[in-house]
Amino acid sequence: MVHRQVTLFRAAATALVAGTLAHAAFADDGMAKADDPNAWPMYSRGYDNTRFSPLKQINTGNVGNLKLAYSFQLGSLRSNESSPIVIGDTLYVSSSWGPKYVYAVDARTGARKWTYEPEIPEDVLQYACCDVNSRGVTFAGGKIFVGRLDGKLSAVDAATGKELWTTTVVDYKQGSVITSPPLVVKNMVITGFGGGEYGARGSLQAYDVNTGKEVWKTWTVPGPGEANSDTWKGDSWQHGGAVLWLVGSYDPKTNTVLWGTSNPGPWNSAVRSTGDGNYGKLSNLYSSSTVAFDADTGKIKWWVQATPEDAWDYDGVNELVLADLTISGKKTPVYMKADRNGFFYVVNRETGKIVSAEKYVPTTWASKIDVASGKPVEDPDKRPGPNHPIKGACPNLIGGKNWQPMSFNPETGLVYIPSNNLCMDWSVSEVNYRKGVFYLGGDFPPQPGPGGYMGELMAWDPVAQKKVWGVTTDLPFNGGTLTTAGGLTFWGDLHGMFHAYDARTGKELWKVGLGSGIGAGPITYSVDGKQYVAIVVGRTASIPAFLGNVGKKMTEASPEGGALFVFTE
Amino acid sequence: MQALKCLALAAALVGGAAAAQAAVQPLRLCADPANLPFSSNAPDAVDKGAPGLYVEIGRAVAEALGRPMETVWSLSYFGKRNLRTTLLAGQCDFAVGLPAVPDFMGPRMIFTRPILKLGYAMVVPKGRAATRIDDLKGKRVAVQFASPPQSLLAMRSDVTSVTTMDPEEAMRRLAAGEVDAAFIWGPSAGYINHTALRDEFNVISVDAPQMQWEAAIGLSGKQPALRDEVDAVLGGLAPRIRALSVKYAVAMDAPPAVSGAAPVRVEANEAGTTPVARAAGTGDAAEGKEIFNGTCGHCHGPDAVVADRKINLRLLKHRYGEQMDEMFFTTVTNGRPAKGMPPWKDVFKQQDFVNILAYLNTVQDK
Repeated sequence: MVHRQVTLFRAAATALVAGTLAHAAFADDGMAKADDPNAWPMYSRGYDNTRFSPLKQINTGNVGNLKLAYSFQLGSLRSNESSPIVIGDTLYVSSSWGPKYVYAVDARTGARKWTYEPEIPEDVLQYACCDVNSRGVTFAGGKIFVGRLDGKLSAVDAATGKELWTTTVVDYKQGSVITSPPLVVKNMVITGFGGGEYGARGSLQAYDVNTGKEVWKTWTVPGPGEANSDTWKGDSWQHGGAVLWLVGSYDPKTNTVLWGTSNPGPWNSAVRSTGDGNYGKLSNLYSSSTVAFDADTGKIKWWVQATPEDAWDYDGVNELVLADLTISGKKTPVYMKADRNGFFYVVNRETGKIVSAEKYVPTTWASKIDVASGKPVEDPDKRPGPNHPIKGACPNLIGGKNWQPMSFNPETGLVYIPSNNLCMDWSVSEVNYRKGVFYLGGDFPPQPGPGGYMGELMAWDPVAQKKVWGVTTDLPFNGGTLTTAGGLTFWGDLHGMFHAYDARTGKELWKVGLGSGIGAGPITYSVDGKQYVAIVVGRTASIPAFLGNVGKKMTEASPEGGALFVFTE
Repeated sequence: MQALKCLALAAALVGGAAAAQAAVQPLRLCADPANLPFSSNAPDAVDKGAPGLYVEIGRAVAEALGRPMETVWSLSYFGKRNLRTTLLAGQCDFAVGLPAVPDFMGPRMIFTRPILKLGYAMVVPKGRAATRIDDLKGKRVAVQFASPPQSLLAMRSDVTSVTTMDPEEAMRRLAAGEVDAAFIWGPSAGYINHTALRDEFNVISVDAPQMQWEAAIGLSGKQPALRDEVDAVLGGLAPRIRALSVKYAVAMDAPPAVSGAAPVRVEANEAGTTPVARAAGTGDAAEGKEIFNGTCGHCHGPDAVVADRKINLRLLKHRYGEQMDEMFFTTVTNGRPAKGMPPWKDVFKQQDFVNILAYLNTVQDK
């Protein structure tokens, strides 16, 4: 017992020193650097959102020996979607419900260093359309930044967990919540918010990292007098959606912030456009798009709209993965996006010009993307509109891929996509969530797409635009992916099974059941020369409510949960 | 005095438990605590004898069945999700005013016979002849975001839609002359017109597809026997339900009755003038502190200082903002039995509650 205490004390002392060093190293220029191979300093490891780690101590040869290093209960059930971050020897992880908690723990042992518990109003569940999730926190300059369900953004001292400032980004009572970690660029912390269906008008907002004061705000639905305001009918721009509720990317070379925007609102496209696909000018910019912002001013540089006059809820928020690909023998700076609309986009991130866009899941609403104009070539039979119900539109409204992050491995050249294979029937009956008024919106019951499976982890060659390998699964909405220089791809599914695959062949090398469905993306890091793999589990509860019988299977697949699991050799 | 109250509480709890076993089970109504004209647990609405149309219909049903009624309050911003976690989860027995269509939530939910017809309505100044949608030609018309009227008018180029987020905003803009007409949820329009706008407008129901529905009482699919019991008494209640819908001015094309219906808040800045706030303002904080420390403080800490944040009443303002007073009265009246908070309505007088609230208002964290 005495011996044990001494050991613990020593470990704590070491942790303290290491923590201080790490703190100092990052305090230099205020930024978390992805060039420390041991760290996982932001949501998807770097500004490029690749979720690739150069670590290879755990590799195809030994991954079968992975064992639990520790687990840590998050103290909050359901919809735990957090990617932990690791700075030095400290791991930071947020829970669901607000977040209810943000924890700093010793990355080697799970010993808790501090807990931050923001004061979240009790009625917030009312306004969170798609569950009470938090996808994680962001580190910079000795501070942890956390976006909150109550529309606030808080900065917390990374060493102590003490709140430094809190600012209100958006009124959550309009149905706008913040669920994703912000992006920190230079001295700014940048965030969007949700609520595309509920009457929000999207904007991206930058705040001073030290004070929380607003630096710039850019509307993603232009108002009268602004460029492209003529892409909206009548006064529909006021509640046009195009919110930015997932994560952004940053290209330091061109000082450009890249972010995906949601679907426009309301769902009935006749309110904001023509309702029939002959949208002409009324394409509802910048909804269902990728938008490039100047990081210093927030000014919009260019955009790529994947789904003009969206009528399917093909939200365009999916993350942009930045890489330099060799295309036709030429090194090309691109972003890659597995769009919800079923097409995999490879776009030159310096010019906004589409390199290629091909179907990566069964897709029926459009036959192809015209690369020159960027416009989809639609099947008019598959576009829902007033008095025009449709059948068999694929993908369904959760998209070929939802928020769960994909990863890109520069050594295999492949992208690992957690994809969905669902189709839907849709008739326009406007949903109205205002209380007092009858809610008569449908449940949009989905059907499995061709082949009968509903989810697939796929390895996608972004240059050839073709699938290299795939693992199909019975349920949709599975977890994000991680890929490493150890030749591995990690992925969790909705049954709560966590898998490791050979990144080149798709051969399963290891798996373990973790007890609750997985939505989050795994991460990896190294402390004291030892590599760890971490994953948060705790399945969604609200999304299945949209999905009828499929949703029932999703909730029956595992109990609710909320825990961090960390593995090592 | 304080010891006496503790004893009285213990007696109330014991006596209550014994009585509950002997008496019939209460019928539990699911209702939204802040959704007038349909339901409200705000003290001013309750004091004025106007807790909402659905609450009063619920009471009439319970009375006809010879059972006491309890109300289970939950916010209904997302209608179906709310029903899933209350009615369908067995938290309450019935919900008044659901659309009587079988595919509303599938076989999980069953309905009584229809009791009301509810739908969208055109609202125009009195004296303007308007009975059809065509009469809106050339006009600026307030509609609600993502509503069937918005969709309907989107198909016409001869009407200018003005999008609003709720019926209150639509009626406010109509009263301010910013629009010529409103085309919104009829019951809300009628109620606001009557309680806040002196019946200056005509509310005319619109008969078109997706505009009118029959409303019924909804129950869990596991309760067909209870449904049949309710159905059996509904026929006799028809005149009363009709009278209630006139009282709350939700009966369209019908002259609204003079009633005790509470005024709806149209202006956001009226919050400070509501009866609740006035009542709280007149409370005696010193008296409230004594009661608090004598009774409430056993769990919530002396002077409301307590380590467990969940029961830290110094955070009430922070948590509930303008709804703090309503939340206070709801909680002390009904308790939160599942979380260990008993109901106190049989222990303290209304003035005691007002005093306690006055005290709590003096100790809220900034």
